[in-house]
Amino acid sequence: YFSSSSHRMSSDGKPATFQPPPKPVIIDRQQQREERRFLSPEFIPPRGRTDPLKFYIERKDMIQRRKVFNIPEFYVGSVLAVTTADPYASEKTNRFVGICIQRGGKGLGATFVLRNVIEDQGVEVCYELYSPRIQAIEVLKLEKRLDDNLMYLRDALPEYSTFDVNMKPVSRLDHEEIPLNKLQVRMKPKPWSKRWERPKYNIKGIKFELPEKKMKEAQKWSQPWLEFDMLREYDTSKIEEKIWKEVSEELKK
Amino acid sequence: MMPIWTKSGKKHAVTLLKVQDCHVLRYVSKEESGGKTAKLLVGGKNASPFYKSESAMEIFKEAGVPRKQKVTTFNVTDDAIIKPGTPLYAAHFRPGQFVDVTAKTIGKGFQGVMKRWGFKGQPASHGQTKTHRRPGAISTNKAAKVYRGKKMPGKMGNIYRTSFGLKVWRINTKHDIIYVNGSVPGHTNCLVKVKDSKLHTYKDCNKNPPFPTFFADGDEKLPEDLYDEEIFQFTDPSVTFA
Repeated sequence: YFSSSSHRMSSDGKPATFQPPPKPVIIDRQQQREERRFLSPEFIPPRGRTDPLKFYIERKDMIQRRKVFNIPEFYVGSVLAVTTADPYASEKTNRFVGICIQRGGKGLGATFVLRNVIEDQGVEVCYELYSPRIQAIEVLKLEKRLDDNLMYLRDALPEYSTFDVNMKPVSRLDHEEIPLNKLQVRMKPKPWSKRWERPKYNIKGIKFELPEKKMKEAQKWSQPWLEFDMLREYDTSKIEEKIWKEVSEELKK
Repeated sequence: MMPIWTKSGKKHAVTLLKVQDCHVLRYVSKEESGGKTAKLLVGGKNASPFYKSESAMEIFKEAGVPRKQKVTTFNVTDDAIIKPGTPLYAAHFRPGQFVDVTAKTIGKGFQGVMKRWGFKGQPASHGQTKTHRRPGAISTNKAAKVYRGKKMPGKMGNIYRTSFGLKVWRINTKHDIIYVNGSVPGHTNCLVKVKDSKLHTYKDCNKNPPFPTFFADGDEKLPEDLYDEEIFQFTDPSVTFA
């Protein structure tokens, strides 16, 4: 909204004086938004009778490695490209692109499995996060899926596991939330490697095209008492808070 | 147990052993013990003094040390005798040394012959009457007796066993932790005896060990972590094959 100075002549008899525009008010939404915390799942110690000192020492080693080599934030369902050192390759590096289907292991032995279909052959490679042979990990597409474990992609149609080897990284802003891909995957005809319709796997990301009778029969194996079993509860919220503080302080140094 | 990587990129599994309040308790001379060498009694983890009789506590009172959970003997040569009451630390061992580790194995209770001795048992079907995990025959006709030591069901585990020739990869002097290659008998947090290896191949592996032991109040100031030469330290950049 600009007011031209010529108006001044009609309201007052005085000559036109320059009125500066009102100062804009800057509301910095980035700082107001809460910082997103991500603690990699391998930092959380498993339930057991091991001395916490062992986990503390392992965490020191993990933080030491993270200071030298950047391990980015990623989830099951994001597409990664990993370059490792390979003594038998012509250039001594080996680059593999794939979707992360599983993150296993705790502490220094944490692993992640990448899957891709190359020339009609499904290939899965299991990498150790803290192995010194890994030279770079790039996240090409950061997203989450409906499940924590995408092993069912082995029995899904190959188009859901194919990713271009020369894919460009998908750009995303820092403060955006990680997109949740609610894709429902179509499967190859049965038999599958595992009976994914059974409630023990608790899979939400498959579009089951089985008859109603089979789905009802699969519910026979449900164990509805498991969610109320108190001895199986493992509340990690307080442990996570402590470890998050420790890790973020060390990494800032 | 933890993974450890060498500079060539190979992975090895490593067990962490913590040296928790170890003190030398008593010196037994060669004549007194009747053996070939002198002995040193060493005590492990601290424990409550109220659950043992006065006579048992005499050894600890003499040495001036709280009561220890476990007491072991080490055969020592005359030049390695240490005064009773000195604390022993993880820095007694150095990376690159080879070590034997003794401990009581995990107790499995009364077990059958298939788990205890690895027998094959009998088939599950094809007419077997009530015989699937039994030992079968225990002797021959001519022997007319069962030999002593015949493998039969019984209590399995909870006996002392040793793993020989384990390499020491790393020593943490601040928390007194020894990183030993491979697995070690016993459950997690059990008490374990660590000795220099008796194997012939590792006779000359000890290049300059702290002799008779590492004294904390001495002149040597060790860094917090001692690594073997081949270990990949996490402060280095990633491994490349040139």
